[in-house]
Amino acid sequence: MLELDIGKMGDHVQKYVNDNDMNLKNSFWKKNIRNLPGRASPKKESKSVSSSASTSFDDFQESVSDAWEIEAEDEILRMSEVKISKRVAHSAAVNVINNHKASIEEIHKSKNYSNSDPQGESSSQTYKESRHTENKVNFPNSEVDTNKLTKFQVLLESNLLNLEDLKKLSWSGVPVEVRPMTWRLLAGYLPTSTERRQEALDRKRIDYANLVKQYYDTDKDEAYKDTYRQIHIDIPRMSTPLFQQTTVQEMFERILFIWAIRHPASGYVQGMNDLVTPFYVIFLQEYLPIGTNIETLDVSSISKKNRDSLEADSFWCLSKFLDGIQDNYIFAQLGIQYKVNQLKELIQRIDGTLHGHLMKHGIDYLQFSFRWMNNLLTRELPLRCSIRLWDTYLAESDCFATFQLYVCAAFLLHWRQELLEKKDFQGLLIMLQNLQTQNWTDTDISLLVAEAYRLKFTFADAPNHLTTKR
Amino acid sequence: MGTGDEEYDYLFKVVLIGDSGVGKSNLLARFTRNEFNLESKSTIGVEFATRSIKVNKKIIKAQIWDTAGQERYRAITSAYYRGAVGALLVYDIAKQLTYQNVERWLSELRDHADQNIVIMLVGNKSDLRHLRAVPADEATAFAEANNLSFIETSALDSTNVETAFENILTEIHRKVSARQMDSMDGDEIDKVCMKPIRIDATTANTNDSAAFQIKQFCCNASA
Ligand SMILES: Nc1nc2c(ncn2[C@@H]2O[C@H](COP(=O)(O)OP(=O)(O)OP(=O)(O)O)[C@@H](O)[C@H]2O)c(=O)[nH]1
Ligand SMILES: [Mg+2]
Repeated sequence: MLELDIGKMGDHVQKYVNDNDMNLKNSFWKKNIRNLPGRASPKKESKSVSSSASTSFDDFQESVSDAWEIEAEDEILRMSEVKISKRVAHSAAVNVINNHKASIEEIHKSKNYSNSDPQGESSSQTYKESRHTENKVNFPNSEVDTNKLTKFQVLLESNLLNLEDLKKLSWSGVPVEVRPMTWRLLAGYLPTSTERRQEALDRKRIDYANLVKQYYDTDKDEAYKDTYRQIHIDIPRMSTPLFQQTTVQEMFERILFIWAIRHPASGYVQGMNDLVTPFYVIFLQEYLPIGTNIETLDVSSISKKNRDSLEADSFWCLSKFLDGIQDNYIFAQLGIQYKVNQLKELIQRIDGTLHGHLMKHGIDYLQFSFRWMNNLLTRELPLRCSIRLWDTYLAESDCFATFQLYVCAAFLLHWRQELLEKKDFQGLLIMLQNLQTQNWTDTDISLLVAEAYRLKFTFADAPNHLTTKR
Repeated sequence: MGTGDEEYDYLFKVVLIGDSGVGKSNLLARFTRNEFNLESKSTIGVEFATRSIKVNKKIIKAQIWDTAGQERYRAITSAYYRGAVGALLVYDIAKQLTYQNVERWLSELRDHADQNIVIMLVGNKSDLRHLRAVPADEATAFAEANNLSFIETSALDSTNVETAFENILTEIHRKVSARQMDSMDGDEIDKVCMKPIRIDATTANTNDSAAFQIKQFCCNASA
């Protein structure tokens, strides 16, 4: 299966990941997923009905039902079979999902992250309760997946695409078969009208070819030499055999160099190469039969024309994608410094215990979350998970810069228990810089973004929220 | 990788600085994990590792901060110089430009680090003999003129990596002990061994992790 092949490119300890993926795959089919201990049960969750459920939570429910509307049924089926991992967010996320499944309005959640609880005692309690033993399973490519795929296909083939519908459908993950086209549309790279789509695509690809001629093939301006040098230092350091191919490296160099020249306010920043990768890999798969192992693929065996298209599409989608977060990469990376501050204040409000623990041991949020923000978590996750995360990021479009903050918060909270067990600065920082996600699957990302969504809803409008002391 | 549980007599914070691609991350990987990787990714922000070694019968724990080399990151990385008692300033012996930039890195240190910081100039990639662009005697002369120690290393074949870290940690230790000698009799030295670093810590931000740890250690030691 294609997903697995992508998995082989995972950034984290490639060899090890492969083996583990295989184990997971093999063992999964033996499990009866319906009888998993700790499996989310709507009934159980409904016991936690609280009469004190806040108004804001009702609003939250409402807004969530909106967000999940279209794919609700598919997703519910998938998610109810989801593994219950040792994660902080899962019960909340699964709760959200199950509530939809049951469509029972009186199911409320007792987890009310009260704003009047600056110490976060109650929330930390919640987090403790939400821990279960880990039962990792994948779900099979079942009917529900086919169902979802059909919905995508219907949407994509309609004469005038409803972009909002596509976003809603994509938010919880895009099927592999339709991902390339869906991403192009979500990124705003292609028009919603089916009629004009091919024409626009052709034109954009020609535009890119011209940019290459203009900036890359000519003698490079003295001012750009530094940029080129830096890109040239970084690209060869991309691991995995795919990225060690000269053809691939040259494509990356052109994409990044031209992007940098066209965005002088930021220019090239180390780590941006990681942001090209998801686009590149997704568009590359378009030219291969599903199931091809891209790691053993010789990219130069793909026709020049297709390679050019792949490069152009990656370039334009990257450009659209980075437009929303340009302040991350300007001088002194003020956008990131600001967001790191926001993350700190957010965690302080959500989980005072964890925040206090980090502070007590001298951990500075910049020390670990700078990279999370700069590379949009690509360095912390295996590539297959980054791709799934991109589905949601792209579906968030304009709001994704803000949303990413909540993803980072959910990500940090996911590790809360292990972090609280570390009793010194070094143990904490080493853990935070080497979070073990190599066994993560799409399901973990679905739970992560669901939790991020919940946090955003609960905290984005709260008073005093994110008023940064600077 | 150390987790900080083990016993140690001294905790020294050391930073690795220098242009992008000179091999800072690989020097760190070689020293702390005995690993080398031709495809090690660029460092984003800072990375962190520790290792303890024995110097003059004392266990010294080195807390090493590996910084990103790209100029762009300097606003972020310079914050990590605070509280550092040592710096390995690395260049690539096969890349003239990385050597020319040593001056700029020195002034970065002057602006952001403690004035007593021990600096060692490190010419890395000494295995690339056929590509050498910076003569060793030129770097030696430069180091002498600027009061730095100097060594050539190879993270790839391990040459001098251990020695480089040992030397700088020994030098820091010597400096620390000498300053203690100035202020008290020999007997008490061991008990208050961290004192000179506390002096450093006063120049550091109180939030600084290294300074924080050192203070903690002091309390433990005197208890
Ligand atoms: N031949 C040789 N190559 C080395 C040596 N040390 C590092 N390299 C290679 O040089 C490249 C850059 O090494 P890094 O350790 O990533 O460089 P860095 O200084 O950490 O770079 P930034 O993180 O970008 O600041 C990698 O391809 C390494 O494999 C060495 O001693 N000899
Ligand atoms: Mg590095």
